[in-house]
Amino acid sequence: MTDNETRPDGGTASRADADAEVEDIDHSLDVDESANNRLDPEERQSVSRPTEKHDDRKLVTGEAKYTADYEEQFPDLAHARVRRSDVPHGRVADLDTSAAESMDGVLAVLTPWSEDVPDAKYTSAGQSYPEPSPWDMQVLNEKVRYVGDPIAAVAAEDEQTAEAAVGAIEVEYEEHDHVLDAGEAYSEDAPHLFDPEDVENKIVGHDYERNRMASIGGSLGDVEAAYEREDTHVHETEWETIRQSHAQVELHTTLAYTDEDDRHVVITSTQVPNHTRRQLAHLFDIPIRDIRVKKPRVGGGFGGKQAMVVEPIPMALMLATGRPVIYEATREEEFQAMRSRHPMKVRAKSAVTEDGDIEALELYALSNTGAYGSHGMTVAGNVGSKPMPLYSNVENVRFEADVINTNTPQTGAMRGYGAPQGTLALEGHLDEVARDLDLDPIELRQRHYMEEGDVDEIAGMMGGEGAKRVIRSCGLDECVERGMAAIGWDEIEQPDAEHLHRGVGMALSAQGTGVAGDELGGAQVMMNEDGSFHLMVGGVDIGTGADTAFVQIAAEVLGCDERDIVVKSSDTDNTPFDYGAYASSTTYISGRAVKKAAEDAKGKILDWASRMLGEPVEVLDTADGEVYSEATGASVTLEEVGYESVYGDETREHILGQGTHSTDESPPPFAAQFADVTVDSETGEFEVNKLVVAVDCGVAINPGMAEGQIEGANHMSYEMATNEGITFDEEGHAEVADYDDYAFPTAAESPSIESILVETHEPTGPFGAKSVAEVPTNTVPPALSNAIREAVGVRITEMPITAEKIREKLSE
Amino acid sequence: MEIELTVNGTPTTIEAGKEADLATALRAVGYKGVKCGCDGGVCGASKVIIDGEARMACGMPAREAEGSDVETIENLGTQDDLHPIQQSFVDHFAVQCGFCIPGMIMEAKDLLSETPDPSEREIREAIDDNVCRCTGYQKPVEAIRDAAGRLDGGGVATDGGTATGGGTAAGGDHCD
Repeated sequence: MTDNETRPDGGTASRADADAEVEDIDHSLDVDESANNRLDPEERQSVSRPTEKHDDRKLVTGEAKYTADYEEQFPDLAHARVRRSDVPHGRVADLDTSAAESMDGVLAVLTPWSEDVPDAKYTSAGQSYPEPSPWDMQVLNEKVRYVGDPIAAVAAEDEQTAEAAVGAIEVEYEEHDHVLDAGEAYSEDAPHLFDPEDVENKIVGHDYERNRMASIGGSLGDVEAAYEREDTHVHETEWETIRQSHAQVELHTTLAYTDEDDRHVVITSTQVPNHTRRQLAHLFDIPIRDIRVKKPRVGGGFGGKQAMVVEPIPMALMLATGRPVIYEATREEEFQAMRSRHPMKVRAKSAVTEDGDIEALELYALSNTGAYGSHGMTVAGNVGSKPMPLYSNVENVRFEADVINTNTPQTGAMRGYGAPQGTLALEGHLDEVARDLDLDPIELRQRHYMEEGDVDEIAGMMGGEGAKRVIRSCGLDECVERGMAAIGWDEIEQPDAEHLHRGVGMALSAQGTGVAGDELGGAQVMMNEDGSFHLMVGGVDIGTGADTAFVQIAAEVLGCDERDIVVKSSDTDNTPFDYGAYASSTTYISGRAVKKAAEDAKGKILDWASRMLGEPVEVLDTADGEVYSEATGASVTLEEVGYESVYGDETREHILGQGTHSTDESPPPFAAQFADVTVDSETGEFEVNKLVVAVDCGVAINPGMAEGQIEGANHMSYEMATNEGITFDEEGHAEVADYDDYAFPTAAESPSIESILVETHEPTGPFGAKSVAEVPTNTVPPALSNAIREAVGVRITEMPITAEKIREKLSE
Repeated sequence: MEIELTVNGTPTTIEAGKEADLATALRAVGYKGVKCGCDGGVCGASKVIIDGEARMACGMPAREAEGSDVETIENLGTQDDLHPIQQSFVDHFAVQCGFCIPGMIMEAKDLLSETPDPSEREIREAIDDNVCRCTGYQKPVEAIRDAAGRLDGGGVATDGGTATGGGTAAGGDHCD
């Protein structure tokens, strides 16, 4: 395979001719929107109503089943454990498994050289095919590149025995020099992690002589000319972000077995069932059709499960032992050997006139992808392609990124996907510019940010689909206005104590909704004779409430009660194809497929009702479980249609509706973040009094769930501003092993978060919806940095923001 | 070894290894609402009420529960007849992935039995060792405040009357 090409937003690069088609995009604001898509609030029966979350009753009673809860169905279940590298860089010189193998209850010990262990190179990144991530990993490794790299795997009768056996494996290493810092790794004399021939499916800009797995960039206009102009002020700032852990409470867990039809079933806690099925099939050289990936309830993902992180190990052990095998990671493994957010240094540069015209804007990111390159290039691309289009009116724009391998655990997708790093740099930078030039920070932004009808070229300047996109919905003005009111922007009162200083700061953000030109969702609606429906959908609910949103969308179309829809999702044997839960795509892409499937079924229902009522289809519609005539008021129930269609005398039909959805569109949702902080100028201690975040997600399909997404994302963003993240000692050992090391902001330590939904109508989304789950992840670090700057005049650019850093700056 | 204890009012004998923790032992006999999200005694997902106090079952050797009275999430409401705390979590959209929720609800039950009208600060302190990664704690805190009102307001406990403290505080409605 030749080298992969650039795609900034997680797309594939397999279609060389795709770019040519981009130029033909219709830049008019009008889209072919069906009449039923735009409903006034009072017309909505299911959409934007507070429908109870589909799985909540099972969740609050403890009856919902996550992967580990399937254990009891397998009396002969074997338990897996993994032996991981103790050194940050080296080669396994000798592996003695004899003691482990001779232990009672040990069923199999696998090494990199075992027959059942694939030796193919692959990436764990759960992306479309071929993945825009390098194939640089192996399931078990002779060459190890971080403390935690898997070397051997054990299956045993119980977990304790497996754990003991893993401990009994003796490993001798040939140790190599290691490098942990991206800047150091990106130099000529740093130790090399890879020989170029170690890697297949290489990514654009790779230079393994300098540990660079990818380099990408793009520009519009001429930034250099803008910097040279006499009437512009050039500012340059540099920002640094943490290695954040997903820390989802359910551990990575997979249960693999072979069923009564000799097919391999993988029950797994994943965001990407279809990608995982394909990746397992390729890795183990098993036909895709012979693998079934089933997603039960998932205890959180946040991108950490947008990857085939653990599945190959229980699969290999299952093949080796002929027994069902479960592998449940430990929390220590979660922090040390799963995935995390790419830590980055991001430089921002601008040219701005005295009057506040932004003539040029530039970001450069140096990203530490860790030992392997999963999601490395695409996350880095999003540092520019998500935040920078906010200011689509700026004519000269440049973005570049270098993505570097180091001897630290590999990183991966995480909620926000590069946008948090870019947003910190961009929104912190603009605040500094506004202060330096004595401009109002909000007005500076408002003069340049996008509005409905704009043609944005920035998102596509690195290539990819949607190179020029029309902004069809934009609620930024209202987000800013309502956020200012909620935080009391102009009414901040200073505390009485002289050493306490209060300040507010703000930041804006844009994300996308799905990967432009690289998404697919499928759905099928099957009518039952009692007028109820089965909704089969590939879309993946990882705790977000997606299944509920799907039901609401289908019920709105079908005119039935939501309780009359049985939703079945994310089982590759029984549900249509779907790319998975990532890139804020689920409601927009999978939800649109659901809408199409429901519309297809509805068309058939109306045909049957037309015959039954003797009235033309044109006067018929559905509501409240009936088909009624707008002309005569006559009606038949959906149940009557159901029975007639299946058991009718003359002709019969199973009413099946199908829909698949794919698009080049990726409309941005928007967020305006406000942070209110009090800082003690003697100690540097600070307290966040309140966070307010106003989000334009189009029409919220379920406002309660949408608010929940916003608050959870904002809390994760707050953590990114205040937590050290995962740190390492000099020998590359992670210093975080459990939640109490990780300094996760607890309930008592977390500020109250006010979420505000700003409704716009996105004509390309189902009933006007666009995404919500990621955009509020991007904004607290800059808003808090800006608020502290406002309160006490010091600027913290290196996350996390700590009392010590503030105190140090105050004493300068 | 065999451990005798009372689980949800039923005298129960649990077969458990010497080193087994109580969460694993309870899960092994079917109480799957007890969740495990850490390597022991940190995340709060395994909280159950032991002799009247919410504790992490995973942080406790099973043998120490000998003779104890243990209440798990399975003892609260059913899907058709939720306990007021469970109902409040549903009504407030306080549940996303739900993995931490049984533990958090058991902690809330313990809190409300001792402090029927807790302040936001008291609620946040009570669930301080319940890790939730989805919600940012905002809606769970609101749900627990509202549940206090529901329990206090009309004595609508559906858990056999263990919700003590009913009627001790004036005004039951804390709905935001």
